[in-house]
Amino acid sequence: MSSNDIKPGHKLTIALSKGRLQDDAIALFARAGIIVAESELNSRKLLLNSTDGRFSFVFVKPADVPTYVEYGVADVGVCGRDVLLESQAGVHEPLDLGIGRCRIAVAGKREVVGQDYNLLATVRVATKYPRITTEYFHTKGVPIEVVSLSGSVELAPLLGLSDRIVDLVETGRTLNENGLEVIDVITESTARLIVNRASFHLKRVEVGALIADLTEILKP
Amino acid sequence: MSSLTKIPAGVQYFFDDEVKLRRYVERRAMEVFAGWSYDEILLPMFDYHDLFARGMGEEKAERTYRFVDRDGALLALRPELTSLVARTVATRFKNKQRPLRICYSGEVFRYDEPTEKSAREFHQLGVEHIGQPVIVADIEILLIAAEVLTMLGLGDFRIALSHVDFFNGVVDYLKLDSAGRAQLRELIDRRNSLALSEFLTRVASHVEESRRQGFCRLTQIAGKDDAIAQAREILINERSRAAVEQIAEIYATLAGLGLKENFDIDLGDAGGLEYYTGLTFKVYVPEWGVELGSGGRYDNLIGNFGAPEPAIGFSFALDGLAGAISRRIPESNWRSAEATQNVKSDGDLVRIFDEARKLRVRDKKVKICEQ
Repeated sequence: MSSNDIKPGHKLTIALSKGRLQDDAIALFARAGIIVAESELNSRKLLLNSTDGRFSFVFVKPADVPTYVEYGVADVGVCGRDVLLESQAGVHEPLDLGIGRCRIAVAGKREVVGQDYNLLATVRVATKYPRITTEYFHTKGVPIEVVSLSGSVELAPLLGLSDRIVDLVETGRTLNENGLEVIDVITESTARLIVNRASFHLKRVEVGALIADLTEILKP
Repeated sequence: MSSLTKIPAGVQYFFDDEVKLRRYVERRAMEVFAGWSYDEILLPMFDYHDLFARGMGEEKAERTYRFVDRDGALLALRPELTSLVARTVATRFKNKQRPLRICYSGEVFRYDEPTEKSAREFHQLGVEHIGQPVIVADIEILLIAAEVLTMLGLGDFRIALSHVDFFNGVVDYLKLDSAGRAQLRELIDRRNSLALSEFLTRVASHVEESRRQGFCRLTQIAGKDDAIAQAREILINERSRAAVEQIAEIYATLAGLGLKENFDIDLGDAGGLEYYTGLTFKVYVPEWGVELGSGGRYDNLIGNFGAPEPAIGFSFALDGLAGAISRRIPESNWRSAEATQNVKSDGDLVRIFDEARKLRVRDKKVKICEQ
């Protein structure tokens, strides 16, 4: 089928996170028969079409995926659970894609591991996840001051910007090399398929088929 | 004030074409409501906070803008209009003949966290139908919503129908406590069937495996007659069953009216549960990523203010309708095409204003132009 045969109302736009999840997600879609030509992938285009024209892909920053999907400019998206928890976007989350497995953890310098929080002093925590961080420490009853950073969070304790950090931990290597250790795991995260609430109804057949195809290849 | 250019988050200013479009949408919608014999009600911008808490529940009333009256009573800007209608119906309209058909158009105000992007002030257009049990009123309401959308050139709309007892029946059947209920609701709402399956294995091990699998499928089931068939198969508890039959009858009627394309049945909708008691529905149009309107049956609300009576209603978000229309309908449809007659000033003030007034008597649009 050529891309001209797909009516705009039936084409699905998929928002993908650039970076960590990108290659795994593209490989997963390829297994489900949704293929993007190599030449397209190697280009610097941010908007690509699948070879059969049924899907178009947009590549955006991970934290923006829920936004694109919530507003419906993308019908579906792939993003980490970490990003979803942080964004609180009103989207459907039908599938755990099992890729991009990591932990959202509290970490700190080796010497603070095992130390109790002084319940009366405010702990300074640097993170890209202010919402998750605040909620975690609130449930523990520990007063905190959140320092919002957008990258290289591991630096914060080294330079004395914060006492702890909350960040994604995949292998733990970055932490290790910077003299940091995991203190507590807040939650696990994997990539999720998310779906816009309106698209779920308006493109029910297409969305349903995509979920079914992905469910099939995810079967152990 | 920090700066004259700064506008509080979530408020809006409109001018010229944006206003014309909004007025056009409002007028057409209100004409449709009137065409179905709904009378317009004008409601106060604020009322006692307690009234909204009684109507929508404490949690929602938390999101109001509150202030104190001169006598110390707590007031709130209206966060919705249905509670105001319900109180009026239960008190001042107690002896009016039923059913009552009421429509409204007006702004509501809700406080959201500053990080949230949604508006805090938005305009709703809606109707309430009071005093008639299922299902004639339900169908009437759906047809009114459909007519407004068609009239506005959004004929390819999709209305997803659901019923709160799809969910409530399952909760009863699984004998869930309130925490379990909240969790189940969250999972269904996100349509996360894997997590739902794990959850059910944990809390409902007494229920047979095939039945649990069925409940997991609920999150994915939306459609037409096939959805009803599947619902009949999965939902065997009495409460859900009755809901399925009710929706099936409504759907059959809509199908009989040739509206099958525009309506879907959604078994995985778990929104608005603390408030609605029967049919619920949400309105979508292509290329607009969020719902344009929603509604449902709320047979318990009016009882909070007096004698209980059945009721159903819905509202459209004016901003959503206007946004969807401006993307695809030519401006000529909603812009007035009337030509302006320029009256040129030549220093003789009596002459020019005399000319302008003569044109105005003939209802012409005039504009005084400085030379």
